[in-house]
Amino acid sequence: MPSTAEFWSRPWVRWAGIGLIVVLMIVGPLILPEFANQTIARIGVFAVAVLGLNVVMGYTGQVSLGQIFFVGVGAYATAYGVNAGWNIVLVFVLACVVPAVLGLLVALAAARLGGLAIAMVTIALPIVGVPLAKRLSDFTGGSQGTSARFSDAPEWTGLYDDQWQLYLVFLIGGITFLLTRNLVRGKYGRAFAIVKGNEAVAASMGVSPYRYKVLAFTIASLIGGVSGFLYMVVIQYTSPETLHFGHSIELLASMVIGGAGSIIGSLLGGAWYVLLPQITNLIDPNITAMLQGAILLVVLFILPGGLVSLPRLWRRRGRGSVAGPGGGPVGGAMQADAAASVPGSSTVGDALGAPQTQSPPPPPTTQS
Amino acid sequence: MGTFIQLVIDGLSTGSIYAALALAIVLVNQATGLINFAQGGMAVLSAYIAWALNGFGVPIVLAILGAIVVSFFLGALIERYLIRRFERGDPDTAVVVTIGLLTFITGLCAWIWTYNNRLFPSLFPLQTIQLGGAVISVRSLGTIVVIVVIMLLLQALFLGTKLGLALRAVAINPASAAFSGINVGRSLMVGWGLAAVLGAVAGVLVAPQLTLTPGMMDGALVYALAACILGGLSSPIGVVVAAWLIGVLENLAAVYIPFIGHDLKIAVPFILIFVVLIVRPQGLFGRKAVVRV
Amino acid sequence: MSTNRRRMRVASVVAGIGIVAVLAAGCARGGGSPNSTEDGGAAEASPGITDDSITLGITTPLSGPTAGPGTCTVAGITAYFGAKNADGGVEFGDGKTRTVEIEALDDEYDPQKAKANYDQLKSSVFAMTAGLGTPTNRAWREAAIADEVPQALIMTGDPIFSDAEESPWQLGFVPIYQNEGQAFGELLAGSGEEHTVAILSQNDDYGEGYVEGFKAGIEGADNIEIVKELTYEATDTSVDAQLTELAGSGADVFFNAMSITPLVISSLQKTQELGWLPSWFLPSNTSSPTAILEPGGAAAFPGVYTVAFAQSAAAPTFAESEDGAAFLAGLKEYANYPDPPAFPHCVWSYQVGATLEQVFAKMTEPTRADFMEQLRTISGYTAPLMLEGSTVDTTVDGQPAVSTVQVQKYNGKGYAPAESWDQ
Repeated sequence: MPSTAEFWSRPWVRWAGIGLIVVLMIVGPLILPEFANQTIARIGVFAVAVLGLNVVMGYTGQVSLGQIFFVGVGAYATAYGVNAGWNIVLVFVLACVVPAVLGLLVALAAARLGGLAIAMVTIALPIVGVPLAKRLSDFTGGSQGTSARFSDAPEWTGLYDDQWQLYLVFLIGGITFLLTRNLVRGKYGRAFAIVKGNEAVAASMGVSPYRYKVLAFTIASLIGGVSGFLYMVVIQYTSPETLHFGHSIELLASMVIGGAGSIIGSLLGGAWYVLLPQITNLIDPNITAMLQGAILLVVLFILPGGLVSLPRLWRRRGRGSVAGPGGGPVGGAMQADAAASVPGSSTVGDALGAPQTQSPPPPPTTQS
Repeated sequence: MGTFIQLVIDGLSTGSIYAALALAIVLVNQATGLINFAQGGMAVLSAYIAWALNGFGVPIVLAILGAIVVSFFLGALIERYLIRRFERGDPDTAVVVTIGLLTFITGLCAWIWTYNNRLFPSLFPLQTIQLGGAVISVRSLGTIVVIVVIMLLLQALFLGTKLGLALRAVAINPASAAFSGINVGRSLMVGWGLAAVLGAVAGVLVAPQLTLTPGMMDGALVYALAACILGGLSSPIGVVVAAWLIGVLENLAAVYIPFIGHDLKIAVPFILIFVVLIVRPQGLFGRKAVVRV
Repeated sequence: MSTNRRRMRVASVVAGIGIVAVLAAGCARGGGSPNSTEDGGAAEASPGITDDSITLGITTPLSGPTAGPGTCTVAGITAYFGAKNADGGVEFGDGKTRTVEIEALDDEYDPQKAKANYDQLKSSVFAMTAGLGTPTNRAWREAAIADEVPQALIMTGDPIFSDAEESPWQLGFVPIYQNEGQAFGELLAGSGEEHTVAILSQNDDYGEGYVEGFKAGIEGADNIEIVKELTYEATDTSVDAQLTELAGSGADVFFNAMSITPLVISSLQKTQELGWLPSWFLPSNTSSPTAILEPGGAAAFPGVYTVAFAQSAAAPTFAESEDGAAFLAGLKEYANYPDPPAFPHCVWSYQVGATLEQVFAKMTEPTRADFMEQLRTISGYTAPLMLEGSTVDTTVDGQPAVSTVQVQKYNGKGYAPAESWDQ
């Protein structure tokens, strides 16, 4: 519908939209009930975590099943710093830097070895992280975890705790999102996309896949650390359970459901991570697992591209089948061959050594 | 020395549990190109079906056979109506679909059979055998033997039979396979069905030791994935050897390297994989993947 | 960038915010000050209580690896109050009779979700109770203190919850892990004979607490020597390696602080296979005769000891006793739990219900503050299905509601009290 598209593309509409969002973010916490604020704050925490995962997986195509490890390290760093009485800005910097350094070290070692090694190392991080957190109980409080209350609203603001925490999440999370958005839209983002698309092509263009993979991974870890800091702001307690491998899988699912390789998708992924358990609890707390699995399958069935592709779905409804030309096994296979021949879309399946498809010369894309 | 041999034998026994699941994952991967995170969950469901049949009075061997037959059709149907839609799209989405399937199946088992630990009758007698200064239970030995047999069968299937060739062809290049006259859809269904059968056997083998709960195979899943990567997803022999290696080295590291101890011994498989991947990026037994630019 | 994609993004943003706003916004912000529900001297009712009913909240794992015990923590208390409600309700100290409603939410053993559940429940329930797990309860402990919401009679042996100064709004129900370990240590030390002990414990506060208590129990006794101490992870598939190492020590007593049922069974089998036949100690929650000892072949060992304060629902005589039959019937009818439970938490949760009824009978004001005050005044109460010698006593600072445990010895069919070590 051309008129609508033109409407949205007009500068003043976009500015009004952004202005509206900013107004909502300022006014919202003041009028929403406490539980709503807390929920939105949690969504913010995990949206940042999913954003980090998107940088390395959605945009750069490297499998990372260890994002929750960096979130946990950030949370532990925050707890340690707060309990040691350090200045909160220093603690925030620590929460960013420590995971980033760890991510850098891991990436330096693993990135040269290809997707398989990165996948395996990232699986190892949370799995080894949990017993490690228990062992280093002097720093981490052991298996009982540590509490760190530092995000109560200061007196001079006159705000309730949950409002203050939500503003902090908006501020820090918002800046993180903006910075990341600029990153992926700039030259780095283009480099990431080329590395994701075809490493050989990237190398031939002078874009070092190794360098950019390391960079992406480090940024993802840093963002994970920010998420860990925000985790402590909102939940104020961390334990080895925070780093559990199962949460990494949940983050992966949230990223895909939100929409991989998309900033908005990260936001939706965070909402999915937080809201799905709460929604299933409301339906029936005794069968949450079954409901969560069923809802995930239904959502992906309708929207294989993730929630962020919802408008695309509406648009295509008017033009025919969602799957594009050809249904059925052969037709699907033909279309898939075209899709599969976008080479090197490195993903969990490919990284874990699935048989490589032979790549014929890139065919014309079937839809723009 | 007795301790050493005992640890090795125990490691082989534990490793066989990982290997059982890993073989099913390999089969699905070779037949459809996907990593099926739900393989363990499907195995548990099959074990529950066998247990339920046994509870209705069916003798255990028949109950297992019945569960195997049901599993075949269950696997084929899941592929046809659920997975088919995602096979040709983004592989990440397909993996997340299998994750959702795992959550759903686990929840389903819990809903039907609750979280109480169910005792699964053992196929093997509860005796032990002396083997070079160490003891091994007949059950562990039986598990190892069955795994080896399955491994050899799978290897033969992929390398020696038309069905195996057809399955692999469909996974690698569906269009060409279709042009060669292979029914792609049916091939995919058979692949998943066979994998489900394998999973059923795995579930039934390990259930007596682990006791039947909805999350029974969750702990083994990560190890099975590690074994797949270490051994190479294209080689049944590779993953079994890898799984055994993981089980044995874990035990040895825990006991003989006190710094690692029993809590950090899970780091051992990953260190091992890292080292191997530096030398052989395709895994111990995998085929080198060639990407044409 | 194409217009379509830009439009898609903006539409998605608005849609996303719209969804969140719709889900999150209720009416305008109510009197929900997070910092205190004031009550002072006048009896302004706390949330979750009316003249006819009172609502209790539970956040506990209802899915995942700990869902077995977790489901039990809800089932027991639901069964207890289900029967009471059917009889007309519970009599309170202020003269009113109220029905007791239970609102339970699944937290999947994730501390973050436990806190979220607490946030969701706190303004609609009177008190939180019966939840399982140390990290999950710790996650919202400080928030409960700040919000002045009772976190009463929870299922964790973590000592911090029973320290009135550290946790003024909390109280644990089950004995702290240290108590259980200590009871056995004292029994062993009192035997007068020489013993060597091998220890295998779960690598978390549960295992550490047991071992700490055991060591406190044998302190000063020079006839007891610990020869080997190992740990395992709750997620391990098998502990064969640890058992091989421990068997090599040749100890004659095996202290096994293990809470995972299949691992206990396989440990019992494996030690026999290795030819190592020590006397065993097992914790209260993994010592069921029918679910664990018989499949494990425990009769082969010279002695299997455990500590308990409640009867085991799996014991053969349980279903025949009056209390036991009422318990099982209540589970079936009110809690949707048809099978006899394999976890002790069902009985424990039932006892939590009974204890709460005692507290309700003493409450004169419908306030949380009064509830906490009366909670700490129960003494010498024998809850249903309790073993002889154990009582509920909430008056001792630093101890949970149940602190006395009985040492028992397996006699081939069930357990009998063990006053002293007799081999």
